[in-house]
Amino acid sequence: MSDFWILLTGALVASCCGVLGVFLVLRKMAMIGDAISHSVMPGIVVAFLLSGSRDSLLMMFAALICGLLTTFLIQMFQQSGIQADASIGVVFTALFAIGVVLVSLYARQVHLDQDAILYGEIAYVHWNIWEVGGINMGPKAVWLLGFTLLVILTVIGLFYKQFKLCAFDPALAAAIGIPVAVFHYLLMGLVSMATVSSFESVGAILVVGLLIIPASTAYLLTDQLGVMIGLSIAVGIASTFLGYGAAVLLDASIAGCMVCAASLLFVAAFLFSPSHGIVIKKLRLRQLAR
Amino acid sequence: MRKAHRTNSAIRRFIMTIIFLVLTVTFVSACGQQTTGGNGKLKITATTGMITDVVQQVGGEYVEATGLMGAGIDPHLYKASQGDVKKLDDADVIFYNGLHLEGKMAEMFEALEQRKPTVAVSSYLKEDQLHAAQDQSLGGHDPHIWFNVKLWMSATEVIRDTLVEKDPEHADYYKENAAAYIKELEQLDNYAREQIALIPEKARILVTAHDAFGYFGEAYGLTVTGLQGMNTMSEYGSKDVSKLRDYLVENKIKAVFIESSVPKKSIESVIEGARQLGHEVKIGGELYSDAMGDAGTEEGTYIGMVKHNVDTIVAALK
Repeated sequence: MSDFWILLTGALVASCCGVLGVFLVLRKMAMIGDAISHSVMPGIVVAFLLSGSRDSLLMMFAALICGLLTTFLIQMFQQSGIQADASIGVVFTALFAIGVVLVSLYARQVHLDQDAILYGEIAYVHWNIWEVGGINMGPKAVWLLGFTLLVILTVIGLFYKQFKLCAFDPALAAAIGIPVAVFHYLLMGLVSMATVSSFESVGAILVVGLLIIPASTAYLLTDQLGVMIGLSIAVGIASTFLGYGAAVLLDASIAGCMVCAASLLFVAAFLFSPSHGIVIKKLRLRQLAR
Repeated sequence: MRKAHRTNSAIRRFIMTIIFLVLTVTFVSACGQQTTGGNGKLKITATTGMITDVVQQVGGEYVEATGLMGAGIDPHLYKASQGDVKKLDDADVIFYNGLHLEGKMAEMFEALEQRKPTVAVSSYLKEDQLHAAQDQSLGGHDPHIWFNVKLWMSATEVIRDTLVEKDPEHADYYKENAAAYIKELEQLDNYAREQIALIPEKARILVTAHDAFGYFGEAYGLTVTGLQGMNTMSEYGSKDVSKLRDYLVENKIKAVFIESSVPKKSIESVIEGARQLGHEVKIGGELYSDAMGDAGTEEGTYIGMVKHNVDTIVAALK
């Protein structure tokens, strides 16, 4: 049974990240997942100092607030003319540093960092069961991620055209009266919700990896947004399956293998993509030369 | 139009290849997963090597004990592999240290408790036997209980009682083994006390890279100073380094110690600092802290590990 739950959790994370990753890659903000994984630190520390507990729901709430703050600040700096990568770097290092300072001031002797408090591990999801009135409802992570996926699909589905235009041509979108800023913040809000709930369930490396790699793979394979989203999800889910298989064979870290599998699929697309693959391009050039 | 068609079919081929790959790997891994059939033994999985060792001593031939964290693995940094998940799934009983040594994993054990016996070997210890983490207001205890051999006897009792409860058929066998092992631990406890007493009183100061030795110091009469704080992740400040350096010089400490699961860089900078103040400190040797030595060697057992630590400390400070 553990296999089934781990794969389902992986597939849900891959779907959440796959959809949002596409928009982030298109907007050149793919590193935002990594940024949030660090910048939740001060939120966790403050929540721990105020409450004295390590309750995971509270920690997640604190992390979510920090995630929203991160994405809000990044968006704000970017809109006032700072490059996207620089604003991501500035915001997350600053917030992370605040967290480190807080720990060294107030909580030196406690094992306190996002690794110990917030990050889950996909290997353990099937043990953390949600029970309602004594009935086994399946792993908590599946419910949490399922809900997150539902929210993401609903919001993106309702405003698909607006999101699309904002991603490709914000100037045009603004010109025809779409509140571009609102949609940017909405997207960022979804990203921080998805990343934080996935961090809690499966850990950081898997989320950061699945947010960037499948979307970048899909980017190499198609020029249509709809197809790209579909491919991104498909590649993400395939990575979790392939990675899990590899983890079984090698007796290795599950999350690690999943991200490696995603990278291998990326390399495959990079080499053999019909439109952008370098091998295909070479072949085509040779054909033309003939 | 034709180009678009060609692109689409290429994408389709790409997806088909992926699906094929996924199915192959799933199939192969499903075949590779046949677990060894039950042989009537109680299957025990323990987190640290120290616990696994005690389970083997007490359970003997009637249990099959597997450990998750091998030699030299820092429990704070441990990551489960797919095989570890299987070991935990297959176990009849899971033993863990508790007191937050296993970090997030311990939460999982607490959640798992309703469906599978998961037992913290620290569960018999009373509040007054435990060291608080230095900052009282935040609660939390020092988890390194295995360095006070007396506390580890209590852990042995936890393991004994659990095995007796789960497998009453062999209750006498387990009790006998446990009694014999506790006797060995008593000897070890005395040995440690006698040996440490050989160090001149003023020199009984143990300086290590991370203060895992709080219980050890209290039990055997050493003052313990660490550099890093409770866990191996926390950054040490420059003030810590200079404070420890001054302490070394002031107390004329002859040797400091490095640890098997903590990089020695941090302690080396302190030694260098003391040298600049004209006080020569040497590295007294490597102590086992969060993990034991390689399986098969003497340090690969709990008793061997404690002996190694005691002998190393005595040889360097005497």
